[in-house]
Amino acid sequence: MNNNFITMKNILSIFILSLTVLGCTKTQFEDRVKNTGSIDVSNYVSVGNSLTQGFQDNGLYAETQAWSYPALIAQQMKLANPNMPDFKQPIAIGNGSGYMHLEYIDNEITPIRPDDPTYGGPYREDPTWPDWQDYVKGPKYNNLGIAGIQLRNAIGLDNNQRIYNHVFLDGISTFNIQGNPYARFLDWGDSPLLFGTPKEYVDHVRESNATFFTNWLGNNDVLGYATSGGDEGEFTIPFVGTFKASELTPVAEFRQKYDSVLSALTVNGAKGVCATIPDVTSIPLFNTVTLESLGKDIWIYENDGSTKRLAEQGDLILLTALEEIEDNGKGTENDPLPHTLVLDKAEAKRAQDHTILLNNEIKGLAAKYGVPVVDTYEILKTFESGMKMSGIDLNIKYVEGGLFSLDGVHPNPKGYAIVANEFIKVINQSYNANIPLIDITRYRSVIFPN
Amino acid sequence: MRKIFTVGILTAFSFELLAGGFQINQQSHKATGMGGAFTGLCIDASSIFYNPGGLYKLKGHQFTGGFTLIDPHVSLQTDANDNIDQTTGNATPFHFYYSGQFINEKLRIGFGVNNQFGSSSSFDDDWEGRFIVQNIGLQTFMFQPTVSYAILDEKLSIGAGFVYTAGNFHYEKGVPLASKDNEYGKATLSGSGNAMGFNVGVFSTPYKLEKEDYVFSVSVGLDYRHKLKMDLDNGNVDFTDIPSSLRDKFPESTGFTSSLTLPAVASGGIALTYEKPEKIKVDLLYDLTRTFWSSYDTLAFDFENADTPDSKTPKNWEDVFVHRIGLNITYKEFISIRGGIYMDQSPIPDGRVSPELPDNSHTGYTAGIGVNITDNISVDLSYLRSAFERPNASLTTEGFTASYRRIVNVYGIGINVKFGENKTTQAPSIE
Repeated sequence: MNNNFITMKNILSIFILSLTVLGCTKTQFEDRVKNTGSIDVSNYVSVGNSLTQGFQDNGLYAETQAWSYPALIAQQMKLANPNMPDFKQPIAIGNGSGYMHLEYIDNEITPIRPDDPTYGGPYREDPTWPDWQDYVKGPKYNNLGIAGIQLRNAIGLDNNQRIYNHVFLDGISTFNIQGNPYARFLDWGDSPLLFGTPKEYVDHVRESNATFFTNWLGNNDVLGYATSGGDEGEFTIPFVGTFKASELTPVAEFRQKYDSVLSALTVNGAKGVCATIPDVTSIPLFNTVTLESLGKDIWIYENDGSTKRLAEQGDLILLTALEEIEDNGKGTENDPLPHTLVLDKAEAKRAQDHTILLNNEIKGLAAKYGVPVVDTYEILKTFESGMKMSGIDLNIKYVEGGLFSLDGVHPNPKGYAIVANEFIKVINQSYNANIPLIDITRYRSVIFPN
Repeated sequence: MRKIFTVGILTAFSFELLAGGFQINQQSHKATGMGGAFTGLCIDASSIFYNPGGLYKLKGHQFTGGFTLIDPHVSLQTDANDNIDQTTGNATPFHFYYSGQFINEKLRIGFGVNNQFGSSSSFDDDWEGRFIVQNIGLQTFMFQPTVSYAILDEKLSIGAGFVYTAGNFHYEKGVPLASKDNEYGKATLSGSGNAMGFNVGVFSTPYKLEKEDYVFSVSVGLDYRHKLKMDLDNGNVDFTDIPSSLRDKFPESTGFTSSLTLPAVASGGIALTYEKPEKIKVDLLYDLTRTFWSSYDTLAFDFENADTPDSKTPKNWEDVFVHRIGLNITYKEFISIRGGIYMDQSPIPDGRVSPELPDNSHTGYTAGIGVNITDNISVDLSYLRSAFERPNASLTTEGFTASYRRIVNVYGIGINVKFGENKTTQAPSIE
């Protein structure tokens, strides 16, 4: 028994020893090598409109501007290259322009505008907003996104266009005409209307001396028309001429100006990425208020407003028409919905067809400059039937869909994070880079009311 | 602005926990040491589980009990995160079997208790896949009274037992709804249920060569354990940190019904035994097991609260084969050294790999030793290791892709007590 006991002890020791050797439990993955590939991120400049500026909930405000897709791209680039300088944005102070939120009123989840007298309160325009320019004008910014800007505003092909663009972007202080409030972080020079020399958007783009760029201009060249219900927004500047603020930008003009912007961006050999224009029917502003959701007939004014008819399948009633219908009783035969609140079938088709034409221009010109394209048109289409990401249901529906903010046009923080990932994927693929993707679960969708 | 849109938020409740790795195959530490091949061999009371047909081989009264320590390590890599570790703790299933000889040589009556299925997984609170799974655990207890009878003595014996199962599970995940107070909400589901099944086996030693100094025999066994459909009629879900405007859909608490099907398992085994009495004994074993995972086709949760969206997820798992090979060498009836290998097919097809229990077809290795401390008491130790890597595996229903590494070390200790081996009649009372 003694001998046996010794044998047993030996065998046990060997057994346990071999377990400690075999029993290695290291499953951890090594950190991946991250790099920015063949691009130079020492001066990343983003060019675009409200989407680029970080606009959402129909407002520009500090909290979410920090999550603009260019800021998110820069944040991820910095993980790959810690020496990258900070990405500077003209951040609004506090509430900025004010923004929409949701309230729970009479058992209904209700979107509230910032100027709502009852509920707007904590969400209304920041006291600093009227003088925002005093806080932000001066420094050079990496993010040149301007809410509301169309590609056609980036450069004037003749003096009248230059006058119009300058009025649109800077206003005319002499006559107390306000310009675009979101463009106040840049210096627009002197008004050509008063024989001054303006500074155009394309000049800012050129002078940014970008070493890398993202360019998502062009959306408003269709969206302006669509959100006006197909109204071309004709107006007159005295002694200068008549302009159409929201017409579909003609293809030839779009081509020429997109070329100018790309030329300005690449003048120093910068590499970059462009993006296409999503289909208007993919966004909640146009697909939330439907005849089914209203459950009744709606009368609309067609075209320019001269003829009225019953709304049909395919007429896109704007989300903003809801208040007119529900609260002001519009949409009856006697009081049809104004044509600016309906993108009727024919107009919707024009907008959709035009989007495809402009996207072809974007792709063609990007190819000419050797710039890869993020096809946001196609990407948003994939969300139309809904999909899941990391266990989260995402689709293009208003509020519940998880992608869009309360204005029904701009993404919410999670939506912007998804946009940023799409840019990063293209950058990684095209420039042999290894920039980590964003964990989109870290970014919220809309905030539901209590 | 008035609201006319409906907030139709869906939250799916789905998990893959009933996967291959969820089946606990360590139901005896002799068997575990030999790759789990035990259908064609009957040397201790764990045959209650592996093949009740073989109990005829056990003389007198025999008890086998054991604990298992399952130590899983799982890491993930996603596009956004270089490394995520599961925080899953160890599991300690146990088993206990008794086989007793009554009335005559041919009859055995026995009883078994074990945990045949069970697993748990947890992750850090803020991990990337928290809207798929945060914590999950499933536990089952099987109680099996068994009768075995040797119809033709060594040539043919049969056994059967009823299997009563009690199970419980809990499942916690994030609900991606933000409010001013909370970044997201949480759902905690729990439920329990039971099921009845059976376990039948046939055992035979068709060939036996008895020479002067050695004995060589061939044994074969077949065993079938029926599927166990557990109805969870009394489930409860708590929703916490939900925006109050969505409380109609996600109330503080509501009931649900669901059901889980534990699959049927069929095994066939063969054992070749060479024995030089009092010197050496060698067993070479092979088992082929089929697990009928396809019976688990849908996971559905039907909530009591009418506004809470019901959840239904198709599973479509595949039936799988497992090959098991084992070797036992017993020296001087005192010490046994065991080794084994098994090749496990994963029931989870591509596109269905989930973070809580990533599975892959893999080969596992086992080792064990047994020591007869006295004539009546013996101890078994076993060790099992399985490791695999599954790169870029997706769970398409949740939109989640990751690379997985999993290492599982399983340690077991068992004790066997027997008495009355030589008494062929009038068994002593065991109480």
